Amino acid sequence: MKLGDVMSAMHFNLFAQIALIIAVAGFAVVLVTTFLARNREPFRRASLLPLADDSPAGTRGGRA
Amino acid sequence: MTTATMGGSAVPGERMDRFVYDDAIVRLFLLATLVWGLVGMLVGVVIALQLTNPIFNFQLPWLSFGRLRPLHTNAVIFAFAGNAIFTGVYYSAQRLLKARMWSDGLSRLHFWGWQAIIVSAALTLPFGITQSKEYAELEWPIDVAIALVWVVFAVNLFGTIVRRRERHLYVALWFYIATVVAIAVLHIFNNLVVAAGPFKSYSIYAGVQDAFMQWWYGHNAVAFFLTTPFLGMMYYFLPKAAERPVFSYRLSILHFWTLVFIYIWAGPHHLHYTALPAWASTLGMLFSVMLWMPSWGGMVNGLLTLRGAWHKVTEDPVLKFFVVAVTFYGMSTFEGPLMSIKSVNALSHYTDWTIAHVHAGALGWVGFMVFGMVYWLLPRLFQAELWSRRLAELHFWIATVGILLYIVAIYAAGLTQGLMWRAFDETGRLAYPDFVETTMRLIPMYWVRVLGGGLYLAGLVLCGVNTLMTWRRRPAQYAEPVHEAPALTARYTPEAAPGGFRRMGWHRRWEGLPLTFSVWVGVAVVTASLFEIIPMFLVGSNVPTIQAVHPYTPLELAGRDLYVAEGCNNCHSQMIRPIRAETMRYGDYSKPGEFVYDHPFLWGSRRIGPDLARIGGKYPHLWHVRHMEDPRSTTPQSIMPAYPWLAQARLDWAAVERGVAAQATLGVPYTPEEVAGAAALGRTQAGEIAAAIAQQGGPAGLENTQLVALIAYLQRLGTDIKSSPKVATAPAGGQGAGR
Repeated sequence: MKLGDVMSAMHFNLFAQIALIIAVAGFAVVLVTTFLARNREPFRRASLLPLADDSPAGTRGGRA
Repeated sequence: MTTATMGGSAVPGERMDRFVYDDAIVRLFLLATLVWGLVGMLVGVVIALQLTNPIFNFQLPWLSFGRLRPLHTNAVIFAFAGNAIFTGVYYSAQRLLKARMWSDGLSRLHFWGWQAIIVSAALTLPFGITQSKEYAELEWPIDVAIALVWVVFAVNLFGTIVRRRERHLYVALWFYIATVVAIAVLHIFNNLVVAAGPFKSYSIYAGVQDAFMQWWYGHNAVAFFLTTPFLGMMYYFLPKAAERPVFSYRLSILHFWTLVFIYIWAGPHHLHYTALPAWASTLGMLFSVMLWMPSWGGMVNGLLTLRGAWHKVTEDPVLKFFVVAVTFYGMSTFEGPLMSIKSVNALSHYTDWTIAHVHAGALGWVGFMVFGMVYWLLPRLFQAELWSRRLAELHFWIATVGILLYIVAIYAAGLTQGLMWRAFDETGRLAYPDFVETTMRLIPMYWVRVLGGGLYLAGLVLCGVNTLMTWRRRPAQYAEPVHEAPALTARYTPEAAPGGFRRMGWHRRWEGLPLTFSVWVGVAVVTASLFEIIPMFLVGSNVPTIQAVHPYTPLELAGRDLYVAEGCNNCHSQMIRPIRAETMRYGDYSKPGEFVYDHPFLWGSRRIGPDLARIGGKYPHLWHVRHMEDPRSTTPQSIMPAYPWLAQARLDWAAVERGVAAQATLGVPYTPEEVAGAAALGRTQAGEIAAAIAQQGGPAGLENTQLVALIAYLQRLGTDIKSSPKVATAPAGGQGAGR
């Protein structure tokens, strides 16, 4: 018996249901974690990262 | 500079690392973006012209629409957008990671390798060297090169991540990681082929399964090449330009994970009502509709980043480009789910509506993100003031008008096509039975497209001028700003992190562990893919076999290869949907079992000309000879290019033998005798067809020409399941197969 025979005997809805459960569970975990109050401050600081990269300590080279 | 450092674990008094960023590589990628953008969009305007009048094909093989169209799509996607992605990634990743790229040598290898791939594409596609699958047309040696250069890019990026001085991976970097992981998976699995020579290969998948794999790839190329990297760039460059942080970092996390989980499922919506099993089609539709929410989450996050800074938009061309780009992102990601709904797709599919949708995303979202980024980068990379702000403003307005002209005209064209194809008169017959009637209605709209595309191209020329003049203002030697940051400790200790990293939860930990993070991105992409791919390949009922369907003869296979080389599938579908208007126009709807020997599938995605799934036997051989010599001789209003060279070009019988052998390797049931005698079998059939053509009053001596092979293939199409597959013998007066 091949894997194809086993899968052919299964109902398609089974695959979709398993996938849906995994996707919903994954989303729920991300949602809950993201909105935990304790994460507010770390996220606020993370959002500042792009604004903090343009302050060089000096330069090398320059206009000749 | 430490105010925003998230996870640096430097001990007070510890020596700071000093480093400079490699901006020279960013300059190279930026210039390549503009050069290839000009080339790709110029080809786009040329093929737009060709659809208004076939004289613009100039009867030259390498300038015909079917060969140039893939050059246009590949140039704008992989050359223009690709180089823009690398520009943005190389600039922002170094700064977000507080580290120079891991290897300057790998950076250069990446740059020159990518440009060599683009040149290879430009040298092969116009000469008919193609795999035919949309956005994956390049032949196998170039595919191998793409995989290798992508690995170089990945090693360089991950090496930089490992060597970083900022513990936290900012959200833009997640999008870059997702791009690197997903594109590698998509590229490799969609391009698995058996080679039949240095410039010819056949997909290992056939028919329904090949179509499924192609649109799993095709849709996710849009997702992970034209969306996720540009979202990463949005999350970096938009806050920079607006000088304020992203509106909601939390929303960006939700945006990222929902996109990664959901996008990968959506591909089958490109195949509604085709021979694809309904379960896959429905799954694709449902996940596509779900995509609307995360996509709009990203759009809202982008636009609200400008809260309190909208006054700057009136003054700053960079922000203007970004605002319109994000708006187009929102529009396209609303329209995409809408078009994935089966009843809407029944109208929109195969029409220019899809083309308008694609160009709203490509010109509006991708193009404007690129231009905004370029204008922001120019003064910083060339260390000189932008040459002309007013020229940048002019570019913005010209390009905006250009996009609007383009998409409004082509939306109108798409709706016109869709409605005319399905229109019935009061007697229940097709209101427009001749396909070319629809085509004629579209010509004025195609002219407006040329104007819109021309304006967009003109805007890019202005950008090029501005870049050139700004470059000329550069200093004789670029200054290299030296940055400082504490090195990360080799072993990460959460307690030492400012703010208490330990309390930040598992997601925060992942963001400090790039390998773990990348693995989970890969798991999300692969798992979702496997839930669709494994049942598609293993469940037997997906492709019921049909006893009457047989492999192509060697000559028909050679003709099929020519059909692919000339890019006929860019204009003609081979898929009749079970919709009354289609079965009345083209014949019985297509069945999955009809395509089991189709390596690759050739269902097409667009009907500039009519469907050809059941063209076999509809016209005599001589009609096809005249039609290929000059389509206007059989259909006066046709916009199809002429193919006079097919009657002169000789068939390569050795290539025919290699082709049959490669197909046999793939499992097509050719006997050893058929493989060994493929050329002889082909010559026999070619002789019969050539004799019939001469007998019908056509030219003699065609038996060794490519034209005969193409006719053999066309006459075979759809005949396997016809009750009486007879080839018409009298010249037909109908115009159904003209454009």
